[in-house]
This record gives sequence, structure tokens and C-alpha cells, in this order.
Amino acid sequence: MQSSKSNLSFNPQKLRRTVLDMAYVGRTAHIGCAFSIIELLAVLYRNHLRFSPTDPKSPVRDMLVLSKGHGVMAQYACMHEIGWIDDAAISGYCVDGSMLKGLSDSRVPGLEVTSGSLGHGVSVAVGMAFAAQRDNSGQRVFAIVGDGEMNEGPIWEAMLFAAQHNLDNLVIIVDENGFQAMGKTSDILSRGSLSAKFAAFDFDVMEIDGHDETAIDNALTTMLANGSKRPKALIAKTIKGRGVPFMENDNIWHYTRLTDETYQTAVAALGESR
Amino acid sequence: MRQTFSDSLVRIADADPRVILLTGDHGYALFDAFRAAHPDRYINAGIAEQNMVGMAAGLARMGFRPFVYGLSAFVPVRVLEQIKIDVAHDNLPVVFVGDGAGFVYSYLGTSHQALEDIACVRAVPGMMVLSPADRHELSAAMDHAYAARCSVYLRMGKADRGDVHKEGVAIDMAKLQCLRSGRIGGTTILATGPIATTAVAVAERIGGIAVWSAPSIKPFDTATLAAICASSSRLVTMEEHSVMGGFGSLVAEESTAVHPRSVLRIGVPDRFSEHCGSYEYLLREHGLDLETIATRIAIYDAQ
Repeated sequence: MQSSKSNLSFNPQKLRRTVLDMAYVGRTAHIGCAFSIIELLAVLYRNHLRFSPTDPKSPVRDMLVLSKGHGVMAQYACMHEIGWIDDAAISGYCVDGSMLKGLSDSRVPGLEVTSGSLGHGVSVAVGMAFAAQRDNSGQRVFAIVGDGEMNEGPIWEAMLFAAQHNLDNLVIIVDENGFQAMGKTSDILSRGSLSAKFAAFDFDVMEIDGHDETAIDNALTTMLANGSKRPKALIAKTIKGRGVPFMENDNIWHYTRLTDETYQTAVAALGESR
Repeated sequence: MRQTFSDSLVRIADADPRVILLTGDHGYALFDAFRAAHPDRYINAGIAEQNMVGMAAGLARMGFRPFVYGLSAFVPVRVLEQIKIDVAHDNLPVVFVGDGAGFVYSYLGTSHQALEDIACVRAVPGMMVLSPADRHELSAAMDHAYAARCSVYLRMGKADRGDVHKEGVAIDMAKLQCLRSGRIGGTTILATGPIATTAVAVAERIGGIAVWSAPSIKPFDTATLAAICASSSRLVTMEEHSVMGGFGSLVAEESTAVHPRSVLRIGVPDRFSEHCGSYEYLLREHGLDLETIATRIAIYDAQ
């Protein structure tokens, strides 16, 4: 079992390049959804998740549940760096016969849940955290949820259960990029402060810049060591499409496929912003 | 049947410390014995069935053996997507027990009556679907569901309709169960769930009609069905479920493939209950009472 300190770099711009390569070869959407969680995943894999580089199914691993399955290319990029996904899988992404799908799928070693139908992952994560607590295994469970996904009712059911049972080994990370499929979250089902909502559900809550790796790292370290019996929530303020200027906060990149031209432009933009 | 369910659950949990019960705030006195024997493994997940099923998936992924209990209107119908994606997709060993299937909650109306649950679940790939007729089949079904280590829906219907099997009989859940033999080349009734007691009564009244119980809807014992078809001129199916997509549909589909026979599907017509009343009243409203069924089958048998 790898310690929580990985010697892999999980360089965000390299991860974004992998995402662009996948989206280009696979002609797939959801680039913006993946870009907003790059730093969150990089810090989790680099500093907090305990995993085996040679065995994604290690029974003593920490769990990373990507409830917002639409961001899965970001996780594939991390799994590629670890070595759980080979180059051929990246270059054959969503080509006929691809094992890697456009949304998170639990049959891919390294992904814990099948998600994309939203509002499922947190309940599974709560079940895992409950199991780990009962077994006193020391395993932590991290669930990444979209702020649009917070529309879904089962998440709030899961929050009630997590607090009732003192699941202090559970960290829900909300990717608050402010957008969902059809527009701004605030224009659709506005729910004010997520921090206040989680606090009202008896979670320990911290709010950070979801692209500031130091801030993410410090927040996770602080919350995991705070000795509280409460479940944790990390509200990550992010930018949908972060890293490629013409994609940032432009919700068209929830859907749009890359052309030869936009792919080249995006790759160049990544290089400049590194 | 309810005592049998409680006894079976306690017996299975006694033998395996990984068995854990989740209920969506249902099952009032049903779990008294379980709670006394294993209080730490009784989890009331609250009136939050979707989360309950997702959690069961998480627990199963971590090596637990969840039994998820609810009324069949809610488990599996309300939570069908959670069952499909979170549990069945990886064939996780979770047993869903849907209680009160059919018209059991006759006075409560449509929200609590489950007449589409078999149709919903049998289309989910890989799911085992069990539908015991009496307490003997239920006891066997509980052991079978636990031993199968896969995703299971166990349908519990009306609990007090009596036995169709003799005490102490060994039941092979994988097989169709012969309850009554009949005339070679005559009509055969296949029934699933407690309505099998009505099937036996009808057969006794008309005479010459064989009756089989189907405790396992999926996987289904097609080999025995083929033999039944070979020795029967026509089939009748009986279920306390919609005639669309349920047991009658299954028998029609399977028999067509192996040994085509005319199939009279007796079940709930394609409509919701109109009125409130007793269980027996609702059976009559939908033509599932003994008199109506006996009349239909007598006409069919005489054709």
C-alpha cells in the first residue's frame, strides 16, 4: 500500500493535456466538467488517498467516489499517470470497443462507482464509510459531487444518514463551478450557501479555492485531523473549463466537441498558462 | 409467512456476521426477533429509500451482505434506478425484500399496491427474482437468495393464504414445483406467489388440471416448462401482478421458444384500482377471486 504521499507529480497542466487528448480522439463532451476538478484530484491522489500503484482494487485502499461522473476524464488522467490505464486506452478513448466510457463506470479498476445518473455516488460513499467505520478499518471515503448535482434529493438523504452515524471518515467535496448542463446553478435551483447548508446538516465544513493546491491540501489535512466525529464537507470554488481561457466559464464546453482547430488552440493555451 | 421470514433472517444472520439489515422505516413488529438477536445489525435508514439502496451497494462493496427491506411499491419500484446502477450493474450480493406485493395494502390505494414490480426487475440484467408461494418456499427462498451471492429481488405477497407444500418437503428453488398432477394432454396452471393457493383450489374444483408453482421467476426453469408444454394442451398462468411483463409474459415468452402452447394469462388488467376495500374485495374487482378465475379456466379448459 502506497503511503498517502505519492512521488508522482500529478501536474495539473499535464493532466489537462491528457483530458484534451482523450476528448479529441474520442470526440467527447464534458471537458469543462473535467477541468474544474483537476486540482482537487491531483491533491487527493498526490497527498491524501492511500492506494496501491499496482493494485487499484486493493482491499485496504481509501475510496474516491466520483459521483459527478461527467468529470471522469480528469480521473482517467490521474489513473493514467499512476499506470492503471495504459497509453492505448487513452488513445483509444471512446473509440469502438473502448473499455473507458464517457461517464464513471465501476467496472474500470480504479473507479469505484457507476455514475452520471446524478445523486447516486454519495449514498454509495456513505455506505462505504459506514462499512469502514463498522470494521474500524481506518479507510477514508472521498466523494466528489457537482454543485449542479446537489439538485438531486438522495444526496440530502445521504447527508442526514452520515451525520446521524458520525461518519467522520467521509469527506464530501463539492465542485462548485456554478454551472450545470443548461445554465448557471443560481438561475435554476438556487440554493444559496452550500457551506451553510452542509453546516446545517451537522457537517464540518471548509470552503476553499478549488484550484489552489496548497489550500486544498491544507483544508483536507486540517479536516481529517480535527478529531471531530462529524462527516466533512469541502466546498471547492472552481471554474468550469479552468485552464483553457476560451473554455473558462463558457458552459458550451459542457457539450462541445473539439475540432482540429480548437484542439490545437487549447493545447497551445495550456502550454502558455503552465 | 411473516414468522418464517423473521426466523429465516435471524438464522442467516446468526451464521454470518456480515449480514446486515437495512429498512426504510418499515417492518414494525417483523424485526423484533432480529433486533433482539442482532441489535447492531438492524439499521433503520429512515424514510429515504434511494439512499438506503445506494448505501447497501457501498456496504456490499466493502464485504457486507445487506438485506434491504421495504414495501414492494418502494423496494424495488421506487428505487429501480439505484438497484440497476448501484447494485445490479456489478451483481453485488444484495437481497431486496419487497413486502406486501400485490393488493396487500388494499385500503391504502395505488401508492402502496405493487403490481409492476416483477416486470420492472426482471428486465434488469442478471437480477435473480424470487416469488415464494408459501412459508416453505419463502424459507427456501431466503437461503437461496443468501447463497446465490448476487443481486436478488425477493417478492413477498399476501402472507396468510396458507400452504401449498406439505411440512418438511425439500424445495429446490431452481425448479418449478409440482403442486398437483393433472390429465395428460389437458390444461396446466402455472402460478407464482400466494395466488398458487387459488390455483390449487380451482384445479380441485374443475378436476384433471395440473398445478405448478414458480418460486423462481429468474432464472426460470425453462426445461421443466418445456416438459409441461409437451404433456399439456394449453397453459394458464396466475399472478397477483399486471398481465404485462410479469410471470404470464415470462411463460408466454419462454414456451413460445421451446414448445408453443396457448397461454391464458390471469393477472391484473392494465388499470389501477378504482375503489377502496378489503383484500378480497380488490381481488374481485380485478377478477382474481376464486369464482371468476374458476369460471374463466373452466371455459378455457373446455375449448
